[in-house]
Amino acid sequence: MRVDERGLRELITESQDLQSDALAGARAGLVDLADLRHERGPQRPEPEQMERFNAGRRQLLQRLGLGAGAVAGRSVLVGSFGAAVTAILAKPAAADTALDVQQLQTASSLEKLAISAYAAALGLDFIKNGNPVIVKFAQTTMMQHDEHKKAFQAQTTALGGKAQDTPNPIFLKVVTAATPGLKAPLDVVKLAASLEEVAADTYLVDISMFEDTKSIEIMGSVIGVEVQHLAILKAVQALLEGGGEALIKIPTDVAALPAAAGSAGFPDGAFLTASDETVAPPESGAVK
Amino acid sequence: MIDATDAPPAGQGGLSRRHLLGGGTMAGAALLLAACGSDSEDSSTDTTAGDDDETTSTTKAQAAAGDAKVAELAAGLEVLAVGTYKAALDAATGGKLGAVPPAVATYVKTAMGHHQEALDAWNEVITAAGGTEVTTPNATLKPTVDAAFAKVKDVTGAAELALLLEQIAAQTYLAALPKIQDAEARKLATSIQTVDQQHQAILLFTLGKYPVPDVFQKTDKAVTA
Repeated sequence: MRVDERGLRELITESQDLQSDALAGARAGLVDLADLRHERGPQRPEPEQMERFNAGRRQLLQRLGLGAGAVAGRSVLVGSFGAAVTAILAKPAAADTALDVQQLQTASSLEKLAISAYAAALGLDFIKNGNPVIVKFAQTTMMQHDEHKKAFQAQTTALGGKAQDTPNPIFLKVVTAATPGLKAPLDVVKLAASLEEVAADTYLVDISMFEDTKSIEIMGSVIGVEVQHLAILKAVQALLEGGGEALIKIPTDVAALPAAAGSAGFPDGAFLTASDETVAPPESGAVK
Repeated sequence: MIDATDAPPAGQGGLSRRHLLGGGTMAGAALLLAACGSDSEDSSTDTTAGDDDETTSTTKAQAAAGDAKVAELAAGLEVLAVGTYKAALDAATGGKLGAVPPAVATYVKTAMGHHQEALDAWNEVITAAGGTEVTTPNATLKPTVDAAFAKVKDVTGAAELALLLEQIAAQTYLAALPKIQDAEARKLATSIQTVDQQHQAILLFTLGKYPVPDVFQKTDKAVTA
């Protein structure tokens, strides 16, 4: 396999320059968050906000098949995951907890988990000594998730909440359970894609429920990047499954790519949609 | 090598459970915007309402009007995207772009299908709220895109133009998100914004560039209503 290392380094450098530019803009946007917090004071939910939170909770319960009367007796989820979600959702909304803050804390917890997962993947021999494009992708993606986490934490603090810096407990269990089965790059790529999908699906739901517009802006700018991670991971997954690892290189040998490579990166089709299994409930990553 | 069955064919993602949930989003957005539209009419005719009711109705009407503008802007962008991909496909079929790699051919058909579905979704929202279906491309961008397309001589040029269109579309959606009042309409916009971002990643990869260049999605190419 031929890899243009110099070209790749230049691309990564270019990418990091672009990231620096983007970060400068994002950080400039975050500067006024402290002012916002000062203006808003300690976060206390308004009645409308509490209703929105509870409406969101009811909607989530229904989506999970855990609606009224069903929580105790029925679950579409299995094992500890189902039990954990049931326990979280059956708990009444805390009077002093705002939905926006919970969603930001849960987003931070998902980013923290992604960072940990990519770091662990980069420690695996078959990754760190494997395809250099996959290594660079994992390194760059891990760094991007770290910036996402910082942005969510800053916004959490700006809204008067406590920054979350531990991995999401629900999906940590999923990652922990999957880890012993990571024997080849394809296994890692599939797990990484699953984590990106969880983040994207969760943010899709969260964006529709946020009241704070700055939080919409931040999460909107993050989800746009998570789905790109997902698209590339799905395309790489298809190449690996088809025995095309040699085609995972930059510059790309476009003429050699199979036809399916042109659609493999769009697992959801024309619309990103959230499935029951891949949405982290707002309380799941909230600081207790 | 990869078999064609490894990847979901264009449009068939719509048959999955995930996509069906997306259909629910579209219907929800259409219904909610329609409801806001009704409120708008009420606000102009109900002279007996109290101050608070009038204020609420006016606010809802303003929100609905703002959302309708976003929906029309989005639909105009989707018309432009569909038309441009169609023109590229026609040019490729006519041999005007030289050799077209199989992956690029699949991408163009897939992306064009996505934008057509997005257009249909926005028109569903617009017509359900009492508006008129959008069938013409965004007037501001059309001349620029036409001029750029006239200069396209090969697949790389077509991919560069497609990348620019996808950036404009995705960034326009992102810039509009905080302004969209209806939660379901915002969800629909997000669900399309993200797929346009995915188009960019695949285009960047095929162009030999790093596929996820930004830490945060930008909005510098966004257009406004």
